[in-house]
Amino acid sequence: MTVHGLLERALGAVERWQVLDAPGYQVEHGVSLTFLLAGRYARPLQDLLHGVWLGHPLHPALVTVPVGAWAAALVLDGLDAAGRGGPGTGQAARTVVGIGVAGAVASAATGFTDWQHAHDGARRVGLAHAALNSTALALYAWSLRDRGRGRARRARLSGAAGFAVTLASSWLGGALAYRHGLGTDHADRSPEPRRFTAVADESDLVEGEAVGVEVDGRPLVLVAQAGTVRAVGGRCPHLGAPLGEGWLHRGELVCPWHGSRFDLDSGEPAQGPSTAPLPCYDTRLRDGRVEVRRRAHWRTPTAVTTVEEASR
Amino acid sequence: MRADEVLVAHHDVLRGLLRELAGTTDAQTGQRRRLRAEFLRELEVHAQIEDELFYPAVADVSPLLSVAHAEHRQIDDQLATVMRTAPDDPEFATEVRMLEATLHHHTVEEEQRMFPQSHALGEERLQELGRRLQERQRELTRSGAMRLIVRLKRTVLRLV
Repeated sequence: MTVHGLLERALGAVERWQVLDAPGYQVEHGVSLTFLLAGRYARPLQDLLHGVWLGHPLHPALVTVPVGAWAAALVLDGLDAAGRGGPGTGQAARTVVGIGVAGAVASAATGFTDWQHAHDGARRVGLAHAALNSTALALYAWSLRDRGRGRARRARLSGAAGFAVTLASSWLGGALAYRHGLGTDHADRSPEPRRFTAVADESDLVEGEAVGVEVDGRPLVLVAQAGTVRAVGGRCPHLGAPLGEGWLHRGELVCPWHGSRFDLDSGEPAQGPSTAPLPCYDTRLRDGRVEVRRRAHWRTPTAVTTVEEASR
Repeated sequence: MRADEVLVAHHDVLRGLLRELAGTTDAQTGQRRRLRAEFLRELEVHAQIEDELFYPAVADVSPLLSVAHAEHRQIDDQLATVMRTAPDDPEFATEVRMLEATLHHHTVEEEQRMFPQSHALGEERLQELGRRLQERQRELTRSGAMRLIVRLKRTVLRLV
C-alpha cells in the first residue's frame, strides 16, 4: 500500500470514530465554561484567538512558533550529540525548547477556540490533533525539566520523540485545513452578477429582517432597514451556514449556526468565528423589483471590474 | 407521546417563557429575574435530555446533529449575555430579542427538519424514546444536583 493510501485510511478511521464524540462534547463544555468565566470579555477574547482582527485564522500562523523552535532544538541537539556543537549549544537548545513550549500553549488556546465550532468528522480529527499535540507538549515539558537538571541525553531523546509526535499531529492539522476546510473561506466569491439583476419583488422585503434569495443559483441575503436595501452573500464564510436563515441584532446580520455577526455595509465580521468578510452587492429598486450587482472591491481578491464600471 | 412530540411540547414551554420575558418592561425587574432563571433551568434540562437521549438515537438518520449542537451553544452564550445584563438596563430587551431569535431558529430547524428525519426510526422506537425522554425530564426537573448546577451557573454568570 502506498504512503498516500495509508494516510488516507488513517484519516478516514479517525473521521468515522464516533467514540470520540462523547469526550469531544465534554471537552467543548469545558472550553465553553472557561469562556463563560471570562464574562463580557469572552467575545473579544475569542475573536482575538480566532484571528478576526487578522483576516484569517490565527492558529496556523501561531503554530509556526513551536514547530520552528522545536525544529531548531532538534538541530542543536543533533550537533550536541555529535560533539560538534561547541560551547553554548546545550543552553541554546534549552532556550528554543522553552520558546516552543510557550508557543505551544498559546497555539493550543487558538486551536481549541477554532475547534469548538467544528462539525462531525472535523471535530473528531481535531480532537485527535489536540491529543497528539498535548502528548508532544508533555514530552517537551519533560525534556525542558531534564535540561535544567543536566540530564542531557534523556532530554534529547524526549525532545526527538516530541518532534515525531508533532509531525504526525501537523499532518492531521493539515487535513483539517485542506481537506475539511476548517478556517478556509466558505463564502461565494463569484464576481457575478456584473450587471444589475432582479432577485426579488420589493414586496418580498421585510423591514429589519434577513430575506434569503438566489441569483443564478447562489444564495444571497437582502436586508431592508430604514429605507435602504442592502445585499450580502448568503453563505457564511466560516462554515457555509445559510445566512438567509439568520437574523439581525443591533443592525448586524447574525449567522444561525455559530453566531458570527457581519456589518451589512462592509461585509466585515463584527464578531467571529468568521474571520473573512461577506461579499457585498450594490442594490437598486426598479419597477417594484430589487436588483443587485456584485460590488467590485479592492479587498475582494476575485472581484473583476467590468468594462462598464471602469469607464464610469 | 412520541419523542418528537415530547420535545415540541418542551420547546413550547421554552418559547412561552421567552415570550413572557419579552413582554416585560424595564420596571418589572423581579419578573425578569424570575423568568430568566426559570428559562435557564428549563434550558439545562432540555439540552441534557437531547444530548443524552435524543441526539444519539437519531445520529444515523439525521445529518443535523452538529448544527443542532452548535445552536445549543449559541443559545447558551446568548443566555449568558442576558444573565449578565441588569434587568433594568435599557439593553435588556434587545438581548432578550436576540435570545428569542436564536431559540426560534433552533426549534424551527429541529421541528421542520430533524424531527421529520427522526421518523425513519419507526413509530415503536419513537414511542419508547418519548417515554425515556419524559422520564428523564421529570427526573432532572426534580434532581437536587441539577438544581445545584443551575444555581451555581446563575451565580457565576451574574458575577462575571
